[in-house]
Amino acid sequence: MRDKIIQVESLTGGYDGKVVLKNVTMEAVRGEVLVIVGRSGCGKSTTINYMLGLQKPYSGKIFFDGVDIWSSPEALISARRRWGVLFQSGALLGNYTVVENVMLPLKEFTSLTRAEMRDVAMSKLELVGMAHAANENSLEISGGMQKRAGLARAMALDPEILFFDEPSAGLDPVTSAELDNTILSVNRSLGTTLIIVTHELYSIFAISDRVIMLDPEAQGIIASGTARDLADHSEDPRVRSFFGGKIGE
Amino acid sequence: MNRKIVKNGNTVSLSGRFTVKDLKNVTRVLGTSSAQSITVDFSNCQSLDTSIAVRIWSIAKAAEASGNTFKLTGMNRDTELIFDRFKAIDKWPAPPVKALTVLYNFEDIGDKVLATWRTMYGLAAFSGKVFKALFSGKIRGSITAYYMEQSGVMAIPIIVTLNWLMGVVLGYQAGYQMSQFGGELFMPALLAYSICWEIAPMMTAVLVAGRSGSAFAAEIGTMKVRQEIDALEVMGFNIYGYIVTPKMIALFAVMPLLITAANFAGMAGGLAAGGMFLKMPAVVYIAEVKKAIIPFDLYWGVIKGFFYSTIISITGSYMGMRVRGGPASVGRATTSAVVVSIFLVILVDALLSLLFIHIRPGLTL
Repeated sequence: MRDKIIQVESLTGGYDGKVVLKNVTMEAVRGEVLVIVGRSGCGKSTTINYMLGLQKPYSGKIFFDGVDIWSSPEALISARRRWGVLFQSGALLGNYTVVENVMLPLKEFTSLTRAEMRDVAMSKLELVGMAHAANENSLEISGGMQKRAGLARAMALDPEILFFDEPSAGLDPVTSAELDNTILSVNRSLGTTLIIVTHELYSIFAISDRVIMLDPEAQGIIASGTARDLADHSEDPRVRSFFGGKIGE
Repeated sequence: MNRKIVKNGNTVSLSGRFTVKDLKNVTRVLGTSSAQSITVDFSNCQSLDTSIAVRIWSIAKAAEASGNTFKLTGMNRDTELIFDRFKAIDKWPAPPVKALTVLYNFEDIGDKVLATWRTMYGLAAFSGKVFKALFSGKIRGSITAYYMEQSGVMAIPIIVTLNWLMGVVLGYQAGYQMSQFGGELFMPALLAYSICWEIAPMMTAVLVAGRSGSAFAAEIGTMKVRQEIDALEVMGFNIYGYIVTPKMIALFAVMPLLITAANFAGMAGGLAAGGMFLKMPAVVYIAEVKKAIIPFDLYWGVIKGFFYSTIISITGSYMGMRVRGGPASVGRATTSAVVVSIFLVILVDALLSLLFIHIRPGLTL
């Protein structure tokens, strides 16, 4: 039995006093690819923001490796150093080249020499197929390349868990499939736990080990299981409607 | 196809396809009818667009509100659907309208006072975090050097030029007034005091707030919009140490130098004005300035520079960090950064001036 790496317990939260998530409980086990799906506005990105400690919940707790991330500032900082995030836009720093972006966390948190940092960064860029663009300005590359570079940066410190907020958003199907393959290879080769927010059906079937579905009216989880199970066997009309009934047939 | 709107007694018949172009015509026929009971017959109406439908709908509602009867008959399915949607939206509440009453004005003032209080409170809390990062974090040399270049080196031409011009204007104005009673020899002293005590530090602070404060807010605001700040935060970076303190340290380093340059530029402006308008030899001007000012007057600008650096870097960064949503918010942050920085600079300048007259050697009240 694999151990739980992140647990969300009775989480209630939202924006400006408005509740988006109510009493949500979920967890991810080490090494799995957990995909969070649901209609727009159901709180997928909000859930990730809470897991990342970017927002403090109205109530409930988030445990990373058994430690409540809000129990002390140090707990949050130490958790953050063990995870990586790929935001929707890639969130690369515009003043830097691609390789400098990947070197950022290494510069901040390690005592490697500049040459060593560059080697580590290049190896991560190689992993995501971006080594050829290492010296490009990070804002002058395509959206798909920015996301790959963002993924390389997120992996710079070999995180135990990687979060993805809609990695396929704004990408064409081919680039999206390539990114899915890259994401999957990270999980398979490094054993990194992946938590992915998406509503791309192709990606859900291609990469997920387990799927959690959120719903805006329910303000929480309405289904959990493998993508195949949810698509083929769910009795819930909201789940059936999301998966379209014929996906994967 | 021809469109026709025919009024026959209390019945108005529409035939053909009606679009927004017929709005005026439909309004003229239906809106001016004073009959107590009107029937609009759509039997020959093939279609009508939403603009025409909503006008008929509003005329019908107005008629019913004043006790008249307004009937819509003979509608085909499509037309009926349009009116059904209007009926459906009636159940939704209208947006709240704030009445423009005296109470509203008080509420508005109260809201603004509270917003100002929240900004100042937020700014104070933000300052605390920045100073904590400043004293506990490491100095990021290359980033700091970049901001020193942007805020310092690049600002020298505009600061020197404007302060020189201020010196010329003040020298000419003061010299002209004093020459009325033969006191033009006092112009250099007056000018040197004004420049060193107030004009040069203040002009420099205003220009740096306009150039760098706004740039800090825009840069950080854009980073917020692009989730770069979130990315740094979840990577474990101390964002105050990484984003704000390099800007602050850079201003600490360059502001005193800029003010010193502004002092000399302003006094050089006075020298030019003296030569041009008062025919005052340069040696006389310089000798008078030397007699008037003491080193403390130059150091004073440097001291002020540290206060202004703190205000401009923290305010600009804080306004940038407050950005939420899209690009419009970045524009507002930039404006706020400049306005609040200049306000605080003047406020602190007033307080420092009170202190100045008590600590400057040779100055008595």
